[in-house]
Amino acid sequence: MADSGPGAAEAPPLGRETLARIRRSKQLYPWASSAILPSLWAVQEELGYLTPAALLAVAEELGLEPSEVEAVATFYSMYFRHRAGEHLIQVCRNVSCGLRGADELLRHLERALGVEDGGTTEDGAFTLEGTVECLGACGGAPMMQVDRISYENLDAAAADAVLEQVRSGAPRGRRSRARA
Amino acid sequence: MPEVKVLTRHFGAPGVTGLEGYRRVGGYRGLEKALRVGPEAVAAEVKASGLRGRGGAAFPTATKWSFLPQGVFPRYLCVNADESEPGCFKDRVLLEEMPHQLIEGAMIAAFALQVSHAFIYIRGEYRRQRELLERAVREAYSAHLCGPSVLGGEWGCELIVHGGAGAYICGEETALLDSLEGRRGQPRLKPPFPAVKGLYGQPTVVNNVETLSNLPYIVVEGGAAYAALGTEGSPGSRLFCVSGHVQSPGTFEVAMGKTTFRELIELAGGVRPGHHFKAMQPGGGSMQILGPQHLDLALDFKAVSDAGSSLGAGALVVMDETTCLVDVSMRLVDFYRHESCGKCVPCREGTYFESELMHRLEAGLATEAELGTLPDVCRAMDGRCFCPLGDTATWFVMSAYRMFPEEFHSHCGAGACPVRSALGAAA
Amino acid sequence: MAAVEAPGELLRVTIDDRQVEVAPGSLVWDACEKAGVYVPVYCAHKKLEPVAVCRMCLVEIEGMPKLQPACATRVSQGMQIRTATDQVRDFRRGNLEFLLLNHPLDCPVCDRGGECDLQDFTQRYGPGRTRSAITDKVHFDKAVRLSDRILLDQERCILCWRCVRYYEEVTGEREIVLQERGVHTLVDTFEHRELQSEFQGNLPEICPVGALTHAQYRFRARPWDLRRTASVCPKCSYGCNIFIDAREEQIARFASNDNPDVDDSWLCDRGRYSFPELNRTERVLNPEARLGGGRQPVAHSEALARAAGALLRVRGDHGAGAVGFLCSPQVTNEEGFLLQWLARQVVGSPHLDHRLEPLPELSPEQFRLGIAELEERDAVVVLGDAPERSAPVLTLRLFKTETKRRRRVLRVPLGTPAASLLEPLQGCRSVGVVAHQEQRSEAVALSRSLAGAGLSSSVLTLVEGMNARGCQDLGVSPAVLPGYQPAAEPGMHGRAILEAAAAGSIKALVLLSPDPEWERDPAFEAALSEVEALIVVTPWLGLASRQATVLFPGRTVAEKAGTVTSTEGRVQRVRTALQPRFPFPPDLRVLGELGGALGTPLGVQPLAGPVFSLIAEAVPPYRGTQGGLRADWGAPA
Repeated sequence: MADSGPGAAEAPPLGRETLARIRRSKQLYPWASSAILPSLWAVQEELGYLTPAALLAVAEELGLEPSEVEAVATFYSMYFRHRAGEHLIQVCRNVSCGLRGADELLRHLERALGVEDGGTTEDGAFTLEGTVECLGACGGAPMMQVDRISYENLDAAAADAVLEQVRSGAPRGRRSRARA
Repeated sequence: MPEVKVLTRHFGAPGVTGLEGYRRVGGYRGLEKALRVGPEAVAAEVKASGLRGRGGAAFPTATKWSFLPQGVFPRYLCVNADESEPGCFKDRVLLEEMPHQLIEGAMIAAFALQVSHAFIYIRGEYRRQRELLERAVREAYSAHLCGPSVLGGEWGCELIVHGGAGAYICGEETALLDSLEGRRGQPRLKPPFPAVKGLYGQPTVVNNVETLSNLPYIVVEGGAAYAALGTEGSPGSRLFCVSGHVQSPGTFEVAMGKTTFRELIELAGGVRPGHHFKAMQPGGGSMQILGPQHLDLALDFKAVSDAGSSLGAGALVVMDETTCLVDVSMRLVDFYRHESCGKCVPCREGTYFESELMHRLEAGLATEAELGTLPDVCRAMDGRCFCPLGDTATWFVMSAYRMFPEEFHSHCGAGACPVRSALGAAA
Repeated sequence: MAAVEAPGELLRVTIDDRQVEVAPGSLVWDACEKAGVYVPVYCAHKKLEPVAVCRMCLVEIEGMPKLQPACATRVSQGMQIRTATDQVRDFRRGNLEFLLLNHPLDCPVCDRGGECDLQDFTQRYGPGRTRSAITDKVHFDKAVRLSDRILLDQERCILCWRCVRYYEEVTGEREIVLQERGVHTLVDTFEHRELQSEFQGNLPEICPVGALTHAQYRFRARPWDLRRTASVCPKCSYGCNIFIDAREEQIARFASNDNPDVDDSWLCDRGRYSFPELNRTERVLNPEARLGGGRQPVAHSEALARAAGALLRVRGDHGAGAVGFLCSPQVTNEEGFLLQWLARQVVGSPHLDHRLEPLPELSPEQFRLGIAELEERDAVVVLGDAPERSAPVLTLRLFKTETKRRRRVLRVPLGTPAASLLEPLQGCRSVGVVAHQEQRSEAVALSRSLAGAGLSSSVLTLVEGMNARGCQDLGVSPAVLPGYQPAAEPGMHGRAILEAAAAGSIKALVLLSPDPEWERDPAFEAALSEVEALIVVTPWLGLASRQATVLFPGRTVAEKAGTVTSTEGRVQRVRTALQPRFPFPPDLRVLGELGGALGTPLGVQPLAGPVFSLIAEAVPPYRGTQGGLRADWGAPA
């Protein structure tokens, strides 16, 4: 409905791989409704966000009312209902990060990307989000996640390096481990 | 030396994140022993260990298990890996360093409780940790450490990793169950309690990652040995996450009841150089502030509770003299406003009221009369909400206001944060 | 804390120094109600499970450190409850301050103004003004058209969840759900889809504020301008209890008047929104009679004399069998009874019916099962293709029976042999059979077979038309006399009467409240154009009023008093909610006086009360039922 341009209505909302994942999840749980969250993850990984047509398709696959699926989809903060930038940057500003310079980090990113908190860069490469839950990296504060991968102990230079790495598409496998 | 090593003793051992490495350090001997001695013997060891839940409520684990009604099957075990408490990252460390230790603990509990399905509910933000955990679960399945016949025996249990999608409230156990069932993760009306009517309407136990990670040690070494690490009121060891204005933030495993806050802060390298201690928040974002007068308190449930706070989920946020407590309160209140599920009025609207007020106060815009409403607003929330989220959204801010009233009053009509202004002037 | 309770023992609790005894399992809220102590609630609703989200009902309970929700806390023996302490008052004030933070305060343009729990509780318990400096409230959409019947104002919503729970628990349709979270939470349909439910009219009624409102009632009235009259929904035979809310002799709305044994407080949209037809102003306003070439207004007495004259003439010329009597099932019991008196006793004709199509053989056995009793049966067999279509509210009772009461509900096609039901009914001791009136004989046969297999079984038949059941009980049909006594000489059924009229053997027709639908039937038109004398009592302009030789202005169901009998045999009162626009006597008096004019005085005043006494004499099961009881037709044969 919302995003259906001409011809979009005929295109199946979900790819075969996504449908297969949804059906596998459905088998995993005693109740089909338990497969809503895994199914929505599968959809978001394919489409980048949750379209109304995709919610309908999930409801259909799981034998649920579409309203139930939408009720769930809108409750959780990590599902997107609109297309965001290609990469999502989230800066934790909870207490531990706040004490160690999260506000400065966010301001630096705003300047570096030329967007305000909540905005998406003109080229659509980055969306910057500064209102997130504590991301469980208080020991490496300040931190940010890019596409749900954590980067910790960041100063301006380190943040720039991460942005550069993301822009260049270099592999970003090296995880930053919480210090034990 | 206050540090002890139970959960962390094999951290960093070669390959210990994988099955083979974990086996090399004695992994899964606890599960083997559990299967040998039987469910009742396992439960007895857990009781002897005095283990209390590490998720924040510190409820005795053996007692929680004992609430399951006799003879009602299927039963379910849920592992609460929805760690989201501000200041806490210990479950994350356990998941990253030794996922098999958790899996073994979960299977020991599953066996003791005779459940057929165990679910690990991991917060959506822990993407990497989830991938590590899923890999470990696959290894465990292929080694028959979980699945239809565990270690070739009669008992079997499926182990399913379930990812959340961004909701702090799902750490509350009944909200976790609703979320796992595919609903909005909102807390349930109790009774019935999960032990009687939990996941899919069946008897269910929800245990925290750290709680379960202790089980391999308790089963192998015995409950009494575990208990002896700590004191009578606070048995065993515990992971604390130290963050904020310390030299070396991180997680530290210490003996319960025998270690003081000061010693814990020293383990983290002490307050950063050139600065001095102002206040601390133990337990995570929900708990009350403690001051310099509390530094020599032991990490003991009762001692900390008597001081008006709690060990909660094992966090410690240290604040030095540069900290504005109005600012800290504002950040926490914002967090609760963002994470309120919206189910009950005092939490949904109260956190909004609080947060708008704290923003005006931190900006130096609020009047004395507005600040005067803060205690009323908090009183209409604390103990009145449907679940602890809304109650605890008032605890830090009110305790900070009581401990540092001048700092709050100095913001009224100041036009800017006076603490920040003073820092700027000094620099 | 509480003493150990013996099962079934009443629990003695104290509420603000008043003592009451309540049954085990009662909620503190129930106990407060019994003690006459008012506790404010938003989320709690007698027909829905407790959720304790609004917190408005928090009270002090001795021994519990925190305030507890009265709506969700079960009482225990000796419980001490306090509702009027400073702590409770302080919290109510604080909670209302919270609720008003993001409320638009648009009471002057809100349909609920004057009957809004947010207004009322704020008046009674709330703060006079907010102390928040928040200038930028959280905004939502206003006047969202959820359907042509329902509007949603998301800003006025206080998120009590009643509408969401209504869909979950009562209809099972889940059209409205909660979306988003925290202070941004709202109720909505999937992608703003239009509501499809045929029970959506209940939403504004369970909404405690002005969030869900009736499109039809928008800006129509203030509650203090309405005159409320308890009556019965006219749209089908189920007998839902309603309030007719009228303003200036126009119906503004139908509202539910909870009868747990019948409607359980729910109405269907077909019934609830049917009232505009009763507000139509194109009406028969005067008695009229055909004089010479045309028809003219005449005095009531002249109309009576002309009607009697015409009937006597036909009877004299062609015999009593040349007069036919027809009414619709919208007549009251009293009217129907007098019509059959007029036909059989006064004129002496057996040709009498309340519908056109013939009915299978009638007997009380077709009606033994009550609506509320469905919930007590171990299983319910619903025979045929969705018989509840003709009584929609039954759908909700069946859903409740199946979900909340956990009884088996089997839907079986016509022709299902009883033997094939024994397997799915295994373990059941009692069963109810529900069928549409057209399948009544098959339902009785099935029920008898099940009884033969050792089950206790009885039938609920759904008849068509508000008072079809009353018409059948009281013999307004050709083959049975009042009380299902077989007629010695059965007359013609409705359609046969029309055909005989068209063919010329029926010369005079008396029509009482004829169904406007009949006018589309060629047989009706043919009959009306052929008869010599056509006596019509009707409120509505149409073929019948045009063709009448003598016409009396009739009253709608909202303009008269009497009783009607619902499909389960419950005798309920309809009351005069509107004063008619003309000064002429009601239908019942027309019938009584016509008898007198024909030479057979009625013997009692032609008023509902005295005529009901005649009914009770003729049909003993009706004795003492007019207060809303089911007529007792005795144990099954």
